[in-house]
Amino acid sequence: MSQRVGGWAVPIAGLLPWSLCFAVFGLVPLFTAFLLSFFDMNPLRPDLTHWVGVSNYTRALGSPAFWHALRTTAIFVVGTLPVTLTLAYVVAALLSRVRRGQGFLRAAIFFPSIPAMVVTAIVFKSLYAEQGLLNGWLAALGFGAVHWLQDPRLALPSIMAMDVWGSVGYYAILILASRKTLPLEQLEAARLEGMGTLEIERRIVMPHVKPVLLFVILLNTIRSFQIFTEVFILTRGGPLESTLTLVYHLYERAFYHFEMGYACAIAYLLLFLVGLILLVQKRVLGRAPAGAM
Amino acid sequence: MGSRGNPLLGVALAAVLGFAGCAPHSSHRIVVFWQFSPLAAIQPVLDRFRSEHPDIDVKVEQLTWQSGREKIVAAIAAGRPPDLAELGSTFLPGLVADSTLVDLTDSIPELVGTLRGWPVAVYRGRAYALPWMLGTRAMFVNTDLLARAGLSPERPPETWAEFAQAAARIDGLGQGVKGFGMNSGEREVLFKKFMPFAWGNGGSILDSSMTRSVVASPQNIEALRWYLTLKPHSLLDRQEMLDEAFTRGRVGFAISGPWMLRKLPESAPTLHFTVTLMPRPAANRGLPASFAGAEALGIFRGSKEKAAALTLARFLVREENAMPLYVATGNAFPAAYAAEQDTYFVSHPLDKVFVRQLLTAVAPPVHPRWVEIEEILNAELEEAIYGKKSAEEALRSADKKIQALLGAPS
Repeated sequence: MSQRVGGWAVPIAGLLPWSLCFAVFGLVPLFTAFLLSFFDMNPLRPDLTHWVGVSNYTRALGSPAFWHALRTTAIFVVGTLPVTLTLAYVVAALLSRVRRGQGFLRAAIFFPSIPAMVVTAIVFKSLYAEQGLLNGWLAALGFGAVHWLQDPRLALPSIMAMDVWGSVGYYAILILASRKTLPLEQLEAARLEGMGTLEIERRIVMPHVKPVLLFVILLNTIRSFQIFTEVFILTRGGPLESTLTLVYHLYERAFYHFEMGYACAIAYLLLFLVGLILLVQKRVLGRAPAGAM
Repeated sequence: MGSRGNPLLGVALAAVLGFAGCAPHSSHRIVVFWQFSPLAAIQPVLDRFRSEHPDIDVKVEQLTWQSGREKIVAAIAAGRPPDLAELGSTFLPGLVADSTLVDLTDSIPELVGTLRGWPVAVYRGRAYALPWMLGTRAMFVNTDLLARAGLSPERPPETWAEFAQAAARIDGLGQGVKGFGMNSGEREVLFKKFMPFAWGNGGSILDSSMTRSVVASPQNIEALRWYLTLKPHSLLDRQEMLDEAFTRGRVGFAISGPWMLRKLPESAPTLHFTVTLMPRPAANRGLPASFAGAEALGIFRGSKEKAAALTLARFLVREENAMPLYVATGNAFPAAYAAEQDTYFVSHPLDKVFVRQLLTAVAPPVHPRWVEIEEILNAELEEAIYGKKSAEEALRSADKKIQALLGAPS
């Protein structure tokens, strides 16, 4: 009996620190935010907090700013996800073929995902500046200056490009790791049967890395819906609200207008939406033959 | 037994030591003070405070400009605000409106005549903070570009017409040089850049009773029309990029703050520049107005050491204590009138320009719904700058929205 208790004690002791942290910093805010979403709460006047039922939710769903922010976020997700996934897959495929210097290339490709997004965004702010490096290169090639972050049509694509640059390496390494677990004999057998490179990719490699691809899609979807830091550093939702994403909108309502309950309702609408999309993705992609992905 | 000592003696000793340890604490008050200056700059000032008030300990913490506001809001929400905090003038109206700050009016009558900048701290005739440091913007002029454009570097433009002409001529130099650095892409600062011209032209945002919008006044429309004429000759970017462009000699004029006076000699030692007052509508009309920002010291209602916090605030606003902070940081000037006479400004004449600019600088109104008013104004100005609306359309739209807001319950 004591041996059994002793046997449980070690894993429990090991899990306890993380579980406590998760409970305090994860679950408690999660439930508190859910409760708050049914209240009108100004953090500067917590004494005036009062129950408003679902009116924060109905207000959000009737707000043009909410739908505009949701649309911007959706464009960001739809614009970055396929590009990131395709590039990550191609980079992983190319890396797997490299025989010399693969370690260096792996590190180089992974590098952009190491610095915090704040750092990356600050670097890109200089690159995208009106008189920054990118426009310097364009000028050297005889082109005029591009208003990367000042033009409402270009600001969001510029942030999307930065996001793709910052995340492709990370996902490429995940996909590469999965490719590495593919038995070489299987590939050689496929070649002996006369399969071409593309056919091997489609019929052998893709089915093998499919679980990782699914993981990458789910992870990237969640990350993309949460986009905030890039917008906060580069554009603050502008120009002309062309980069006003849902989380930035939520932040403005919470910390500039002190509408904490309303901001929590937006957060839960986002959570519901992301959950729904992930569920659909999992169902559809989990069923689909890998070659169709 | 003897080696163990006397237990009674031990208890007595513990009691004496205990009281000895408690005694200083019982008379000590601890003031929690949150502020934005680097600790290296504020600590010497607080050391002097400690020697003047040995009964008050100050627990100082540096806030960052990126997250300071959120930290203060979270602390208030948690019921544990600092005793004293440095509060920006755009954040202050919200705090005042929500009755978060202590009304200091009756505790500080003797300070009224010694400090400038009260408009940022006063709401409905009551003072909710002490003006501590005042910030304003003035016009940085690249004198080399002025000379290359055939204009006198000794006499930078003083009126709108002179300014617009100079900007156009500098823009005409080509080679990537632009006449003026116009803020765009950061909506939150647009009114600070435009309103100086409107204020200088006699315009305003709200009427004197603060119950009616006067944003679409002829003075404001005229100012915005003129401001937009600068656009073709301007570099449009965020403030820090405009500062950077000025540093690299790529723009003729840039509206910026005194921090540039410290930055330019270090990062661009060969750049020839001067600082002048903002241009006024005409030589015989209007004022060279600018935006007046302030860092004020507010005491929170939730503070347990209000009296000690006020003692610290009184100490900090004194000229001899605020001036070293300006010398160390170069961001904002002491609100104390006496600071104008400081010998520092004799040896730093360009800094003195900012002090002169403060005389005609205007603070945004302290209104409980200022955050929303500012948001409306910035959004409409952005539409005008991006050519989506004319000056008149933008200001009329802002006027309508602000008026609706003022009529709506807060």
